[in-house]
Amino acid sequence: MKHSDSIHRYFDGEMTQNEREQLYRHLEGCSECKEHYDEVKKSIALVQSASHIQAPKEFTENVMSALPQKKKKRTIAWKKWSKNHPVLVAAAVFLLFMSSMTWLNWTGMSGGEMAISGVGNFEVDQESNTVIIPEGEVIEGDLTVRNGDVDVQGEVQGDLTVINGERYMASAGQVAGNIEEVNQVLSWLWYETKELFSNLTPDREE
Amino acid sequence: MDDWLNQCIREVKAGDTEAFAQIVDAYKDKVYQVAYRMVGNAQEAQDVSQEAFIRAYTNIERYDVNRKFSTWLFRIATNLSIDRLRKKKPDFSLDAEVNGAEGLDGYAQLAATDALPDEQVVTLEWQASIQKEIDTLPPKYRAAIILKYMEDLSLQEMSVILDLPVATVKTHVHRGREALRKKLKKW
Repeated sequence: MKHSDSIHRYFDGEMTQNEREQLYRHLEGCSECKEHYDEVKKSIALVQSASHIQAPKEFTENVMSALPQKKKKRTIAWKKWSKNHPVLVAAAVFLLFMSSMTWLNWTGMSGGEMAISGVGNFEVDQESNTVIIPEGEVIEGDLTVRNGDVDVQGEVQGDLTVINGERYMASAGQVAGNIEEVNQVLSWLWYETKELFSNLTPDREE
Repeated sequence: MDDWLNQCIREVKAGDTEAFAQIVDAYKDKVYQVAYRMVGNAQEAQDVSQEAFIRAYTNIERYDVNRKFSTWLFRIATNLSIDRLRKKKPDFSLDAEVNGAEGLDGYAQLAATDALPDEQVVTLEWQASIQKEIDTLPPKYRAAIILKYMEDLSLQEMSVILDLPVATVKTHVHRGREALRKKLKKW
């Protein structure tokens, strides 16, 4: 049986040149081993000759039409992910609500009518949607204008805030407090947040 | 080839189904061949190889790009074939007569493709007869012989595909080879 082992080693391609030559010499004198060797060789050749068959026609088309929908898979992946990250999901949902509310506020506002809050003698030009503080006039408190432009020719002693509009300053015009223009959604959001916090601070008005 | 393949795999992962059609086209013959040699008839070979590609598609995220794609694909196909054989009755018994009907079935299906020139019919007959002998091998030896002598794979690759130690794979090759030798020596 030792020889059948060496025949296996031969066909496994594990023999050295030396061992191979030894085996060949042995095969010349041993008909039993020679027969075994020839039979193995033949069966390998037969098996190898039987290879190379091709997939049936339209194989690819059949596979492609049998594929599950990728969307389905995505939902499953998403479900798995959301199960593993509940906090992130909650945060995402919160952000979604927040942003849609802000967006609604913003868009609702920009299409809306001009709104002015403040006390004093100012003129409103409906056609150009502009609040005009005429020369010589003084607004003693804050002035906030939404959806309109502001033309300051006189004086504003408090803060001036322009939301979704533009501010023009005449050379003689003067604003004593802060001037703020809010035209972007993000700055609008920032403005709202600031307002919320300063309203929560009790001594702001005093 | 590898760059092309990696590109395709990236596209499939990104959701491009069309890129997968290219992969199927490139590997269908090899996968079908393994399946056909394993299960022994055209209908089941088609089922198994189709299923192998569908699994590759749905599990593409799990494919490790650093490993050989064909090895991964063959592993899926071989496992499905072995599962299929296990579910069937043990028709791989050493009694070749029982397998006659099975082999004939495969042959009939192969030969049924239109009217073929005589040489091709002879080739088909030849192929079917060899397949009949391969069908009589137990699945593990069958897999070893197919991967080694029909797919020309190394013992290392076979070890990954079959999920067996290299030494075990080698033993399976030896036993499969011996069994075939006894069957084919009368040819």
